[in-house]
Amino acid sequence: MNLDGTHDAMLDDVAVYALGAMAPDDARRVREHIATCAECRAEYDALRPAAGALAYSAEACETGENGPHVSALLKPRIMREVRKTVAPDRRNVARPAIVWPAYLVAAACIAIALISTISNIAVNGQLKTAQAELDASKLAVTESARTLDADRTTIADLTSADAKRYPVPNGTVVARGGKIYLAMHDMPSPPKGKVYQAWTLPKGSKTMAPSVTFVPDPHGVAVLALPQDARATAVVAISVEPDGGSKAPTTKPVAVAALN
Amino acid sequence: MALVRARNADAFEALYDGYHRLVYGVALRILGDVPAAEDITQGVFLKLWSSPDLYRSGNFPAWLARVTRNRALDVLRSKAFRSESELPDTVPENDSLEDVAFAHLDAAKVRGALALLPHEQRDPIEQGFFGGVTHEEIARRSGIPLGTIKTRIRSGLRKLRDALDGAVTV
Repeated sequence: MNLDGTHDAMLDDVAVYALGAMAPDDARRVREHIATCAECRAEYDALRPAAGALAYSAEACETGENGPHVSALLKPRIMREVRKTVAPDRRNVARPAIVWPAYLVAAACIAIALISTISNIAVNGQLKTAQAELDASKLAVTESARTLDADRTTIADLTSADAKRYPVPNGTVVARGGKIYLAMHDMPSPPKGKVYQAWTLPKGSKTMAPSVTFVPDPHGVAVLALPQDARATAVVAISVEPDGGSKAPTTKPVAVAALN
Repeated sequence: MALVRARNADAFEALYDGYHRLVYGVALRILGDVPAAEDITQGVFLKLWSSPDLYRSGNFPAWLARVTRNRALDVLRSKAFRSESELPDTVPENDSLEDVAFAHLDAAKVRGALALLPHEQRDPIEQGFFGGVTHEEIARRSGIPLGTIKTRIRSGLRKLRDALDGAVTV
C-alpha cells in the first residue's frame, strides 16, 4: 500500500499515523501496511514514543501557577462514586499487597492472652503468670504498632504527589525523599529454588550492589521498601537469583529503572 | 493496577493522584473547555475503576493518555458538524502494534523539547495531536501542500525523539 505512490512518501504517512492525525480510512491502510513492512514498522516504532510523549506537554499542575490546574472538587466527586461500589466489608480494609498480618495476629494474641490470663487467675490464682502473659501481649501490640506505622508510611510515600515514579515491566519503582520502593504486580512466580532480587547502582559506581530478595504473593503482587538511599542511587534493577540471593547478578535483569 | 483490579479503592486513589493531571491536561487541551475536561477525566477514571482489564500491559501513562485523547476526540466528534473523514482516527487502545513509550518523562521535559522545534514543524504536530483535525485539514487550513505537512510532521517527530533522548520502555 502506498498513499502517495513512493515508499518515502509512505514513511511520511507512517509519521502522520503515529501522531494520530490521519483520517480513519487512511489510518486503516497505513496500519495494515505497517504490519507487513519492516521498514515502516521500524519508522513507526521510532516515532510513536515521540508522538505519545506529546500528551505530557499538556499535563496540568497542582496550583495553576504555570498553567491549567485540576479542580480540587474533582477528586472527591470521583472517589465518592468509586467508594459507592466498594462492598462495605472491603472499605478501609488492608489489601493484599500491603497487609498488616502482625496487627491481626496481635489482636488475636491479646484475646488469647486475656482468656488465658482470666482462666489462670480463676483456677490457680497465678497472678505472676498472668502478668507475664499480659506483658508478652503488650510487647506484641507494640511490635504490631511499629509494623502498622511502617505500613502507613509506605502507603503515604507510595501515594504522595511528590513521589517520583519509574515504570518498569510489571510494576513501578517509587522514590520519595531517600526511600526506594518496589510496587510490583502480575509478576510470574520465580522458578523453584529461585527468588527475585533487587539491585542498586550507587551513584558514581559501576558495580551493582545487592539489595533485598523477595517472592511475590500468589497474585503476583509485591510491595517492598529497599534499605538503600534513593538520593545516592542511580539505578534500581531486579533479577531472578538463587534462593538466598547473589552477590552479583547472575541473570539478565527483568526490570531496570534509572532514577533521576 | 493489580490492586485496582482487586477493587482496592485506596490503590485507585493513589492512581488518580499520580495521573489525574495528565488526563485532565490532555482533555482540556483538546476540548478547551473546563467542565468537559472534568467530565472526561471523571469518565476515564471511573471506566478504569469499573473495567480495569481494559488496560492489559505496557506503559500505563502512555495508554492512559491515549484513552483520554480518544475520549476527547469522541466528544469533538459528537459535537462537531464535520464528517467522520475530517476527524482523525482514534488510535486503537490495545493495538496489535506493540506500543512503546519513553520511560521517564515530565511536562517540563516535553515542553522544552517541543520548544526546540521550528514553528513550521511544531504547529502541525500540535494541531494533529491536540487539535482534533487530520493532516489534510491542517494542510487545507494553512494552504500548505499536503506532502509538505506530512514531511514536516515526520521531521518534527524525529527531532522531538532525539531531543527527548530517553530510554524507551514497552
